[in-house]
Formats: sequence, C-alpha cells, structure tokens
Amino acid sequence: MSTVDLAVQLGSLRLKNPIATASGTFGYGLEFSEFVDLSSLGAISVKGLSLRPCHGNPPPRICETDAGMLNAIGLQNVGVEAFLAEKLPELDRLGATVIANVWGDTEDDYCAVVERIGAERRIAAIELNVSCPNVVKGGMVFGNDPAALGVLVRKVRAVARRPLIVKLSPNVGDIVATARAAVDNGADILSLINTLVGLAIDLERREPKIGFTTGGLSGPAIRPVAVRMVWEVRKALPKIPIFGIGGIERTEDVIEFLIAGANAVQVGTANFRNPSLSAELVKGVAEWCAAHGESRVSNIVGTLKTRPRLEHTYA
Amino acid sequence: MAVNETLRVLRTLRYDAGHFSLFLQAGTIGPQAQPGNFAMLQAGDGLRPYLRRAFSIADVTTWRGVPAIEFVMKVVGVGTEMLGRFSEGTPVPVLGPLGIPFPIGDLEPGDRVALVAGGIGLAPLVLLARRLSEKGIEADLFYGGRNESDVLKRADFERLLGSHHCRYASDDGSIGRHGKVTELFEGALAAGIGFRRVYACGPVPMFRALARILEEGKIDASFAFESEMACGFGVCLGCVAPTADGRFATICREGPCLPPSAIDWSRL
Ligand SMILES: Cc1cc2nc3c(=O)[nH]c(=O)nc-3n(C[C@H](O)[C@H](O)[C@H](O)COP(=O)(O)OP(=O)(O)OC[C@H]3O[C@@H](n4cnc5c(N)ncnc54)[C@H](O)[C@@H]3O)c2cc1C
Ligand SMILES: Cc1cc2nc3c(=O)[nH]c(=O)nc-3n(C[C@H](O)[C@H](O)[C@H](O)COP(=O)(O)O)c2cc1C
Ligand code: FES
Repeated sequence: MSTVDLAVQLGSLRLKNPIATASGTFGYGLEFSEFVDLSSLGAISVKGLSLRPCHGNPPPRICETDAGMLNAIGLQNVGVEAFLAEKLPELDRLGATVIANVWGDTEDDYCAVVERIGAERRIAAIELNVSCPNVVKGGMVFGNDPAALGVLVRKVRAVARRPLIVKLSPNVGDIVATARAAVDNGADILSLINTLVGLAIDLERREPKIGFTTGGLSGPAIRPVAVRMVWEVRKALPKIPIFGIGGIERTEDVIEFLIAGANAVQVGTANFRNPSLSAELVKGVAEWCAAHGESRVSNIVGTLKTRPRLEHTYA
Repeated sequence: MAVNETLRVLRTLRYDAGHFSLFLQAGTIGPQAQPGNFAMLQAGDGLRPYLRRAFSIADVTTWRGVPAIEFVMKVVGVGTEMLGRFSEGTPVPVLGPLGIPFPIGDLEPGDRVALVAGGIGLAPLVLLARRLSEKGIEADLFYGGRNESDVLKRADFERLLGSHHCRYASDDGSIGRHGKVTELFEGALAAGIGFRRVYACGPVPMFRALARILEEGKIDASFAFESEMACGFGVCLGCVAPTADGRFATICREGPCLPPSAIDWSRL
C-alpha cells in the first residue's frame, strides 16, 4: 500500500489526520486511553467546559432511538479550572491534540472561560458550543439567532488567543445564515452539526422518556442532515475550514463528509458503541484513499459533483 | 483494566419466562472480573439495537473445559431478545470488566453477610457467592421474585452457600415465603442474625424498602444499581443517579456497587 498523506490543515490548525472525536462523546479523552492511542487521532474535543463545575440535569438523561439516541445531559462537567489542572497535563503527556469545547449561560461566561484558557499552548483550539439544546439558559439562544451569535463570537474573538471554532446548531431554518454570522465575526473554523432536538415518549406513562422532556438526537439517524448542512455551508463559504459531525460510524461516512466539503470530521455517539472506533477510522481512511488512488486525503475535500436541479414538469 | 474484545457464544441455557444464561468465551475479561463488575454487550452488528447493553458478570466458570463468562438475562426488549437467539459461535463485542465491584476485601473468616436479590438482580450475586465461599465467609441469600420462574439458579446458590443459607420469597407464594424479599430479610434480622454487610441487587422499590431497613438497623451495605447506559465507562454521563451530597454520580463508573447512603433516595 502506497503511503497516503493524511494531514489536514484547518486554518492555522494542522491535524495529523482528519479523524477527531466530538465533545461530550469522548469524556476528557483519558477515559479512552485504554482503547485508543490518543496521539494517533487528529484531535479530541473534550466535554463542554464551563467556568464553574456543573452538575447537569436530573435523570433520566438518555434513551435509545432508532439508529441513534436522545440525550439531555445538561453539560455536566468538572469546570475549566479542574480540567486544566487535572486532565490537561495527562492528555499532553499522552500526545493528544486537544480541542477545548466551552460554553456559558451569558456572553460574559463564554469570555471568562476563554480568557482562563488564554494562550495555553497545550490546547490546540477552542470550540464554542453555541448549540446545546439541553439547557434552559445559554447555548441555543446564541445558536438560533445569527445576530446574537455574531455579537457573541465577536466578543469571544477579542479575548481568544487560540484558534476559534464555532460549533453550529442544526436546529435552524438557514444554516448558512448562522455560519456566516460566525465567520464574519471572527470564527476561524466551523464545526457542524450539534444534535437535533427530538422527543421520545413512554406510551404507558404518557411521559417523555427524557427528564428534560426534549433531548438532542445523535447517531446515524442524523447523518444525512449533517452532510447536507456541511455541503450548504461549503458552497456558501468556500474558504472556511469545516469539521463535519453527525452519525459517523464507518470509513465511508467519513469520506462522505469530506466529499461534501468537510476538511476533517468528529466522531460522536459511535464512540459509545465501540470505544476503539476512532483509531480504526484513521486506518480505514488511509486504506480508502490508497484503494482509490488518492495520495492526499485533503484532495477529496469538497469534490461533490452535483447535477443541475431541473424544474419539475407535468404530464 | 477494561478490554474491548469480541467473544464467541459457547452456549445458551434457557429457563422459564424469558430468562436465559449466555455463556461467552472468557477472553481476557473473565480472569479480571470481580463480583459486581458488568460488561457492555453489542447485540448484532446492525443499527437496532444501536447501543451496547449492560449486563452483570454473573459467573466465571468453564464450559466443556473452555473458560467462560456467564451472563444471566431476562428478555425485556430488542437487545435481550437478540442476545437470547444467538447460537453457538456467534461473535459478540464485549467491553469489560466495568464498574466498581462489591467491596469484599475487608471481610474475614467468621464474618457473616447477607445477599438480597430481587428478580433478575440475582445476576451479580452468583459470582459474589462463589468468591465469598472461597474466602470462607458465611453468607445468607434472601431471594425473591414474582413467582417461582423468577427465582433462578437456586441449585448454584445452594451449592455455594449451603441450602440452609438460602431463603426465597414470591409475590404469589409459588416458592418460599408468600410476600416480599425484604420481609424475609427483616424476619432474619428479627430472629437476631447479625450481618457484617448486606449485598443487594434488584428493582428500585426493593432497594428503597431495603435501604430504610438497613438505615434503621445501621447495617453496612452495598447495592448494585442499574440505569440506562449508553457507554458504560463514564463518558456519556447518561447513567447518573442523584447523590446524598447533592451531585449526580455515574452508575457505570462510580458504581454500580454503591452504599445506599450515597444515594439521595428522595430525588431518585
Ligand atoms: C450495571 C447493569 C447490570 C445489569 N445486569 C443485568 C443482568 O445481569 N441481567 C439482565 O437481564 N439485565 C441486566 N441489566 C439490565 C439490562 O441492561 C437491560 O435489561 C437491557 O439493557 C435491556 O435491553 P433491551 O434492548 O432488551 O431492552 P430495551 O428495548 O432497550 O428496553 C426495554 C425496557 O427495559 C428498560 N431498560 C432498558 N435498559 C435498561 C437498563 N439498563 N436497566 C433497566 N432497565 C432498562 C427500558 O426502559 C424498557 O422499558 C443490567 C443493567 C445495568 C445498568
Ligand atoms: C451524550 C452526548 C453529550 C454531548 N455533549 C456535548 C457537549 O458537551 N458539547 C458539544 O458541543 N456537543 C456535545 N454533544 C454533541 C456531539 O458533540 C455531536 O455534535 C453530536 O452528537 C452529533 O454527532 P454524532 O451523531 O456523531 O454523535 C453531545 C452529544 C452526546 C450524544
Ligand atoms: S453509561 Fe455513559 S457515563 Fe455511565
């Protein structure tokens, strides 16, 4: 097998390969070190960090759905301080490329976490979660409204000293509008998508299966939506680096995102199903490229050939 | 250390009312397993069921000379239904052993403990009974179910613990005492038996009643909790239970074996 160049460049962020892991599905990374060589991955995005530790939502927090799951964890996390002190040194020792996923209830909260991270060189990039559907305040408020998102991103950009990723919500009518708002106000990279708001019902009790009532849908069920959104944003913003996220299970799913226009991907819920999957996908992508005569994985990005859409005709 | 490996089905043994034992090759998981540990099993390679399912490692034994792990399961939905239909040789992805086991390291010969099981909650207590008998610890089993078909593996328990140490209860009186297992256990306490510790696994109503009895009697205990799980190793934060100190604890990583005093029963 000829060697394939797996490296990808997302603005100033260089990754050794296009396989990263998605926030909230990979813990703080360390939990996976038994199953995956963390240094073999493009990057890992850690569980969403807030300024202060957060307990999250009361259970039940999850339920399985067809080809996926709903979750309303409520952003339980150890807080940025504990992360930097207790998790980051070990991640660094294991050679992981770390993306700090962060969130807050207010603009000031977001800025405070980002300022706390400062110029920490062991954090490769900061990912703003403006799209969590599972908290009463914050998150979604920004993700749904291009104007509010723009203001937030501009404020965070002013204090951020690492590359800034903005993670978009799919729970919008026009993904390009929020993508543009993020990019126009200083996002270096976009990641999409976060979970889609869903509802599952326990028929006997006639109650929602999730304590928070609604939850975020993830897994293979959402992949076509995610691929479509990546494609739309890629068309509208040809230069912006994109992480594609949503329902990735197999090598072919990664390639599909790359063709649609993602420069790299993040593997999410599938990590629960098979904790070794991310490392397997790195190999899988190399094999796929070799088998298809691609010497550089980045050559695949945005190679979708679309047919012209013809107007319907009547009989 | 948890291992992610594929183990083949050695044998499926069916009992009444949708219960069965699934014997898998022990792999590297079996030799590491301690009582109270569990494993996450993938039922088939399709998208339904999508997530792995959690099962207690019920026993570490052999089948026809091959080292085996035994799971005891009850069919309740799509995953358990599929696992029950797997034939000999079917490969099953297994992640384990997982979770905090029952605390037994501090027990000494001469100690007497109680095992309280409700329904399919017997599963983690089989390996526990085996380890306790190896250590020479005297243990009494209190095991209840709705009816006789719910009270499984009695012969194993009776062999490991001695039949005079095994007491049963059923809701319909078809086996043992007519009534709740907690009443059976209270009867033993009333008769003056003192227990160094109580190990329990069963449904939440049983846990609630037992937790109250144990608190009143100031008896040390470890309960093997259940919860819906997506990952089984502490990363999804989906399996939590409210704790007495006002947080949420992951059942898969901080548990499943926890003292009942750690749980905030009013919020569970
Ligand atoms: C640590 C642990 C150890 C367990 N040990 C055993 C065991 O040894 N033997 C055994 O038979 N079962 C055990 N369980 C329960 C087992 O995980 C569930 O029965 C199984 O996940 C159901 O899967 P299913 O696809 O058949 O049912 P589903 O179709 O997923 O669900 C059917 C019904 O079961 C309920 N359910 C789903 N998952 C769970 C769960 N994790 N706990 C309780 N109820 C659930 C659902 O709410 C639903 O009402 C254990 C659970 C945990 C967390
Ligand atoms: C249990 C769970 C927790 C999540 N927590 C976060 C989080 O803290 N921050 C975030 O930006 N996204 C979070 N997500 C969203 C994922 O990162 C990802 O965007 C989404 O699940 C879609 O990808 P998937 O289908 O591959 O899982 C979470 C998802 C799940 C399933
Ligand atoms: S099942 Fe995922 S944290 Fe416990």
